[in-house]
Amino acid sequence: MIDLKCEVLTPNSLAEALQYLANNNEYTKILAGGTDVIVGKTQGSKRFIDSNVLVDINRISEIRGIEENDCSISIGAATTLGEICNNKIVGEKLPLLKKAASMVGSQQIRNRATIAGNFVNNAPCADTVPALLVYDTSIEIKSHNSERIISLQEFLKGPYQTQLQKEELVTRIIISQKEQNYFGEFYKLGRRRAVAISRLTLAVLIALKEKQILDIKIASGAVTPIGTRFPKLEEFAKGKIMTDVLCKNIAKKMGEEVLGVTGLRWSSAYKLPVVQQMFYQLLKGIER
Amino acid sequence: MEIKFTLNGKEAVVVCEPSLRFIDLLREKLSLTGTKEGCGVGECGACTVIMNGVAVNSCLVLASQVVGSEVLTIEGIANGEELHLLQKNFLQAGAVQCGFCTPGMVLSSYALLQENSNPSEEEIKDAIAGNLCRCTGYKQILDAVKQTAKELNPSAKL
Ligand code: FES
Ligand code: FES
Repeated sequence: MIDLKCEVLTPNSLAEALQYLANNNEYTKILAGGTDVIVGKTQGSKRFIDSNVLVDINRISEIRGIEENDCSISIGAATTLGEICNNKIVGEKLPLLKKAASMVGSQQIRNRATIAGNFVNNAPCADTVPALLVYDTSIEIKSHNSERIISLQEFLKGPYQTQLQKEELVTRIIISQKEQNYFGEFYKLGRRRAVAISRLTLAVLIALKEKQILDIKIASGAVTPIGTRFPKLEEFAKGKIMTDVLCKNIAKKMGEEVLGVTGLRWSSAYKLPVVQQMFYQLLKGIER
Repeated sequence: MEIKFTLNGKEAVVVCEPSLRFIDLLREKLSLTGTKEGCGVGECGACTVIMNGVAVNSCLVLASQVVGSEVLTIEGIANGEELHLLQKNFLQAGAVQCGFCTPGMVLSSYALLQENSNPSEEEIKDAIAGNLCRCTGYKQILDAVKQTAKELNPSAKL
């Protein structure tokens, strides 16, 4: 019989939750889907060993569900990945997010795991991060006496580090609607096809007019220390005509940039050509 | 803490620590040992139960999180002495060997068929991707779920 031996606070409103976090000490942790925290506690992981108060945010309706207005789509931080996969708005407007979410864990995991939970630890392998990054996602963060909206990229500081302060909670994920028509793809490579931790994730969104690249957004995860965009590469590709040679060229540069971030490693001999080949395939898929 | 919820259609009340895992509440406090524990970390699906209509790993849910919810465990699947169609087809197809994965497999399939009574083979595989079986090689399990879908839905794809 395993008891996590901690106090569990279950606020019913956001205000109540933020009050709990305001009185918080270093032993307090936020509990959402539990697919990380509960495993961490039962396995005695260092990240959780000292925490003895859990603030369970599952019953706060203000931070669940998906809404759309003229200029943006807003996803409650505690919305489960399963809800995201089944949501019509996400399916139509954010297909890369749907694809990325559907590749996280198993059905059972997706039915508990939350969207914010996927990135608040800033684990490099968080599958939804590259998809969120190419959609230029912002996040809303609240505390009992403050509120701010920052870009996801800014939020993700370094491996397992974010901008989140002790008394703060990520409350919503905000994606603004674009006028242009973007097409994109998301790719995940794991050690096996289902229920695998990613080794490499890639996301790309392109707005094309005829064959000209009006805009392009590129992001990777798992293979880089944190999920990241590639502004230099995006600049390089913008305005160019999408040809096979260009796709090859972008893919080659992508590999070099990844290598630039990670440095040469024992796995580079494998990962470099895989990144390049997969990225090339993604671009070709969009070109067609 | 008093944990009140609906279990297999009946009201259940258990007094326990809020941070007790739900699987332990089921097995130890309620002696419902149909729900199995394999890995305890969300990888094997042996502990699968249906909570508010969706399949979850009960090793990753805390007792306090169950308050007010509706839960279905393997003990609640059959109709009295009459086995559920899925259970009959699992037996028929030889999808039960040691049986350790079976409760989880049945419940994951049940959750799928509730949502989608006419699933494709890929959809079935996705629904049970989080359930590991060390014995059958999965083929018989797929057959059992397909057969059930067929019976539920005469114009099934499979
Ligand atoms: S025991 Fe819960 S998933 Fe394995
Ligand atoms: S029948 Fe033995 S694990 Fe599946």
